[in-house]
Amino acid sequence: MPLATTTQTPDRSAAPHPGGRAVAARTVDAVKVYGTGGTEVRALDGVSVEVPIGTFTAVMGPSGSGKSTLLHCLAGLDTLTSGHVFVGDQELGSLSDRELTRVRRERIGFVFQAFNLLPTLSARENITLPMDLARQKPDAQWLEKVIATVGLEQRLHHRPSELSGGQQQRVAVARALASKPAVVFADEPTGNLDRRSGTEVLSFLREAVDRFGQTVVMVTHDPVAAAYADSVLFLADGRIVDELVEPTASAVLDRMKALGD
Amino acid sequence: MTLQGLWARKRRVIGTATAVVLGVAFLSATLVLGDTLDSSFGAVFRQANAGTDVVVRSATSINTDGGRQRANLDASVVDDVAEVPGVAVAVGEIAGTAQILGSDGSPIGGQGPPTDAGAWIDDPQINPYHVTSGRAPERAGEAVIDAKSASDGGIAVGDTATIRTPDPVEVTVVGLVGFGEKTSLAGATYVGLAPDQAVELLGKAGQVSDVRVRGDGTTSDEALRDAVAEVVPQKAEAITGAELTAEQEKDLQGDFLGFLKYFLLAFAGVALVVATFSIANTFTILSAQRGRESALMRAIGAGRGQVLGIALIEAVVIGAIASAIGLAAGLGLALGLKALLAGFGLDLPGNGLVVEASPMIISFVIGLGATLVAATMPAIRSSRIAPIEALRDAAAESTAVSKIRAAAGLLIGVAGVLVVVTATRTDDGAMVRAGLGSLLVFVAAVTLGPVLARPAAAVVGAPVAGTRGLVGQLARRNAMRNPRRTAGAALALVIGAAVVALFATFGSSLSRSIDDTVSKSFGGDLVVMQDGFSSSGLSPQLARSIDELPEVSETVALSNVVATVDGAEVYPTAGDPKAMANLLDLDVQQGDLGGLPPGEVAITQKYAEAHGLGMGDDLTLAFADGESTTFEVGAVFGVGELLGDMVVNQSDWTPHELRPGNVAVLVGLADGVSLEQGRTAVEQVAEAHGGPKVEDRDQYIDRVAGQVNQLLTLVYGLLVLAILIALIGLANTLSLSIHERSRELGLLRAVGLTRGKLRSMVRWESVITAVVGTVVGLGVGTFLGWGLVRALATQEGFVTFELPAPTLAVVLVLSIGAGVLAAVRPAHRAAKLDVLAAIAEP
Repeated sequence: MPLATTTQTPDRSAAPHPGGRAVAARTVDAVKVYGTGGTEVRALDGVSVEVPIGTFTAVMGPSGSGKSTLLHCLAGLDTLTSGHVFVGDQELGSLSDRELTRVRRERIGFVFQAFNLLPTLSARENITLPMDLARQKPDAQWLEKVIATVGLEQRLHHRPSELSGGQQQRVAVARALASKPAVVFADEPTGNLDRRSGTEVLSFLREAVDRFGQTVVMVTHDPVAAAYADSVLFLADGRIVDELVEPTASAVLDRMKALGD
Repeated sequence: MTLQGLWARKRRVIGTATAVVLGVAFLSATLVLGDTLDSSFGAVFRQANAGTDVVVRSATSINTDGGRQRANLDASVVDDVAEVPGVAVAVGEIAGTAQILGSDGSPIGGQGPPTDAGAWIDDPQINPYHVTSGRAPERAGEAVIDAKSASDGGIAVGDTATIRTPDPVEVTVVGLVGFGEKTSLAGATYVGLAPDQAVELLGKAGQVSDVRVRGDGTTSDEALRDAVAEVVPQKAEAITGAELTAEQEKDLQGDFLGFLKYFLLAFAGVALVVATFSIANTFTILSAQRGRESALMRAIGAGRGQVLGIALIEAVVIGAIASAIGLAAGLGLALGLKALLAGFGLDLPGNGLVVEASPMIISFVIGLGATLVAATMPAIRSSRIAPIEALRDAAAESTAVSKIRAAAGLLIGVAGVLVVVTATRTDDGAMVRAGLGSLLVFVAAVTLGPVLARPAAAVVGAPVAGTRGLVGQLARRNAMRNPRRTAGAALALVIGAAVVALFATFGSSLSRSIDDTVSKSFGGDLVVMQDGFSSSGLSPQLARSIDELPEVSETVALSNVVATVDGAEVYPTAGDPKAMANLLDLDVQQGDLGGLPPGEVAITQKYAEAHGLGMGDDLTLAFADGESTTFEVGAVFGVGELLGDMVVNQSDWTPHELRPGNVAVLVGLADGVSLEQGRTAVEQVAEAHGGPKVEDRDQYIDRVAGQVNQLLTLVYGLLVLAILIALIGLANTLSLSIHERSRELGLLRAVGLTRGKLRSMVRWESVITAVVGTVVGLGVGTFLGWGLVRALATQEGFVTFELPAPTLAVVLVLSIGAGVLAAVRPAHRAAKLDVLAAIAEP
């Protein structure tokens, strides 16, 4: 299976799951332990999740619930203590650092809370960064489409320092989408933005799922942000404690209150 | 609080301190070694003169490269002195030079320490040497040699050995001698002969070099000296042994030791300047990174002075600790250098070092001072930042470059270039102007550094960006993003590279000038030269024998004349003017060099102009024997590089010559004789006269150029230290940048940059910075070299400027290697960066 596809649509080559729906990423009994003995912290305590292709999943939970750890492990940024992580049908646990880097570069897109861009590169160069790292020519048509979607046509040659926070985050979203990854992981993408910019960024993520069939996993604190997702997973003490399909902000808020956040 | 802060940043502090340590170590090693050598040589002279209470010698002397030349005394003085009341023993010393050949026929020593020879003195107290095995020489054909030469040359008691005086003489080695507990007198070789043979080989009949006197203990040395002075002839003087020791020490100070000390001190200076720039850059970055910390302190009520004070206390602590470590390292280095000198044959008495307080204090204060100076500017700058500004923006380091700086730098640079250029076009104070211009150019380079760093990094980085893909582009932009910092890191390399280029330009131009002069002026085919600096010259018989060969059409035997004109030392060449005119094209402008009669002197145009002399004018040469001769200027010639500024007939020099011997014999072969035939014939003759080197023109040029290159190699060796400090500075700057950019690096790793590529990126940034520094340094150094060579051209007869292209290329390649080396640790740290931690950092 080629790691990068040249089709117009995002990577859908993942193996179908026994349950019937194709899965972009999943974990099986994921356990992550930090420290040993008395200071041991079980950040993930047997988490099994599936992220179906073409869906927008939000991950929520009180701080320390393990939601960021789950995201990092799914994205190949961190390794599990036990259990398995798959991106498509690729098991990440058996990969070397070099292979993991390659998977991140070619099959995963990132949007972080802050500091998503290299200050020395222009907006356009930041967007094509993962492909340039892989020495691949970006798909020009697709790139234009992505850039048009996030509305950055006029700012492509600006440096990050010349862009507003919202614009910077839109560049980050464009970068995450540009290489047509199997999954886009977003870690509190609106955490540093004002309401209007945040809404814009969330709309772009939603649009990527609806229009391009992109798969998105997003960690967030914000019930309004979570409401943009198709489903919300709730974590507490390293376990999945609840799931909400087709959430609304108030429903999310209620569940959060129940979790005592 | 300061100390806690220091401890928290210990890694960076160590990097900073290393530069200080190296600079101080070099400085203190130089000073301590100087003291140690002074004291060792002092001990050597004291020991050598220990048994001599008074010395009687000729009052006139001329200082030469090979030491003082002094006329002989009449041998009758010895008896006169012996009769003075209070004198126990008076010995007429016969001193000269002789080179010992080892059992394999190769000469021993002669490349630095003297090759002494003399009549063996029976009085064990006056004689500095004592027999350690065998016995003293008793008759002609017997000799003692120093035990070091014996072991170096594989000679044992009872062996037959050859000595060059300069004609080879076979002697039976009947004993070995030592000096104190050592096997030689500070590395000098020594041959002791029976007095009659010593006079025959080294002296002149009826003359002695000097008289050494031992008192009977009834009077003080001073009283004895005054008593002896009553009976010495005119033109002679009596001095005490202690006075002689002091004089010898002083001569050595001004001569060999002085040169060595200033030479090493110059490099210690370069090392310290480089270190200061390195430290300044580190402090600048540190204070920028601490901007928030200082701002917080300001916000909670600390005054500017307090913030400044903390930074300065920190500098004092670093400077003091590093200087202290530097002192310790310096002592080790001095021991190493001393061992190195011993390896070169400078076998000094006494173990260990002479450590006095003053060099230690000087080194410590300079190390501390350099650190403080380097820390002050950035500290003042950071204390000026308004608290709120620094709190808002973490990376408070300004990357903007002021226009005033650019304008000032440009102005100084243009002024410097102009001064250097004018220095090449005038005679008056050309060297002073060239020096001043060099200083200005250097100041301009420092001032313009931050202005030039961005475009320079852009240009140098372009090929990297072009061939290394994204990694190359990122490296190039990282090198460009903070020009002040890049300039700071590169500046240390600029200095190192500039000094290397300066010396290289000088050396290649010197080689080229020699080449040109010899090619243009020397019409002969072969040159026979003495080996080494301090060996006895060539036997006058050699030239006569060569001249008799049927393969040879013309020979010139050249002797170095030692004389003074109005008290200034001059070094004319003596020989047969007719043969000189046939073999050499000295560009005769007036008169007839070939027909120069005895009593007349030929001088260069340059000397004539400098001293207002013309054809027919009188020129009085004073010789070492106290005699003076007035010559008439009989010819004026243009090329002074081969024979010096004056040429006289050998017959005018012979009466004043203390030790007959030629420095070179130039040979022209007869028509139809091939170079190889001629060389074989001349070599056979030379073999019978101690086997001096026979070289053709190319070999001669190569060897002279080779001597220049040898000296340069030594210079480069010392400059490695400066480069090393520059490297540490570069590595330090990179480490700090990496620390600062950890989130950026984390992001790159997250979106798919492999560890290897990340390392490669850091490496290329380092290489770009290193190459920027080196190229600018080489440019500045080559320009200054050009200026100095041109300035010297008017004074010293440097004719040709030659770009030392191969050396510059080698330095550039080395700088790329240095860049890679400096990046090793920073790249390693960047690669092992925890991606999650880097991203998670607020």
